[in-house]
Amino acid sequence: MSVYEWADAIEATSIGTAIAESRYAFPIIEGVHLIALSLSVGLIFITDLRLIGVALKEVPVIQVLQQLRVYLLTGFVVVFLTGGLLVWAEARAVVDSPATPFKFAFLLLAGINAAYFEFGVAKSPEILDSRETVLPRGARFAGYASLVLWTLVIIFGRLIAYIPHWT
Amino acid sequence: MPIDAVLSAVQNSALSRWVAEADHLFTAGLQVIHIIGFILLLSSVSLMSLRLLGLVFVAQPLPQVAVGMRRLLWLGLALAVSTGAIMFVGAPRHYFYNPAFAAKMVLLLLAVIIQSAAFNRVALRPDLSPAALRLIVGLSLVAWFSVSLAGRAIGFI
Repeated sequence: MSVYEWADAIEATSIGTAIAESRYAFPIIEGVHLIALSLSVGLIFITDLRLIGVALKEVPVIQVLQQLRVYLLTGFVVVFLTGGLLVWAEARAVVDSPATPFKFAFLLLAGINAAYFEFGVAKSPEILDSRETVLPRGARFAGYASLVLWTLVIIFGRLIAYIPHWT
Repeated sequence: MPIDAVLSAVQNSALSRWVAEADHLFTAGLQVIHIIGFILLLSSVSLMSLRLLGLVFVAQPLPQVAVGMRRLLWLGLALAVSTGAIMFVGAPRHYFYNPAFAAKMVLLLLAVIIQSAAFNRVALRPDLSPAALRLIVGLSLVAWFSVSLAGRAIGFI
């Protein structure tokens, strides 16, 4: 089964057509996707600004990481659920757009960067016990990488509607 | 109707035509900056709300959190409003007579008033009762979230 057949098939299911045809469902799901983005990606941006020493400078970095985690992950759960519903309703358009593979590639890279930071850099004593405003280079690099990668995810996500086809 | 004449005048201006005829990727770029502005705005309001409700960073004095977040809030608003204004100039009649746009502007005004008059002042006072604090935080969050929902609806009406 090609990815196009798969897209047409899920779009044709009752839930797919129900979302696509409802006057309110689609914009509301998109709106919730956007609001949840501000909790997930938004709180990640704020964490990144802490890592590079721009915001929340007086708050020990480990507290930023630990205390925002639950809200940030809740935001991501809602983003992925609403994002899944949007794909369900518009699978063919999402598959057709050249912006889609870029969005998901940068999403994957952002995830890898976050995991590398979380399970590597953030476990070092320099971060765990740090009360410093300026963090070691590894942490600052992870912050800049995250800012750039998540911005690219948002750019290519918005472009899905603007660049519908490869040619 | 004077407002109609104003809208027509804007629509017939060279600037309006330039925006309307610009490449669609220019519009997409404006929208991306608009969305990123909103994300900065909503996330800084959310973070300040969490701090005010005592859910995060309770060990830090309030100003250490509030000052930076307030700056991020106004930066986000400035990005969203400036890009929004350019989009409006490109199609003033289209936006002005769209009910979702009208709702968005009313809600935006309300949100800015609640934010600057209540949230950024009263909510930071240490002697405020917990109930009043929760009310202000709740009103502010609902107002901002409504602005973004109304904004998303503009393209569908």
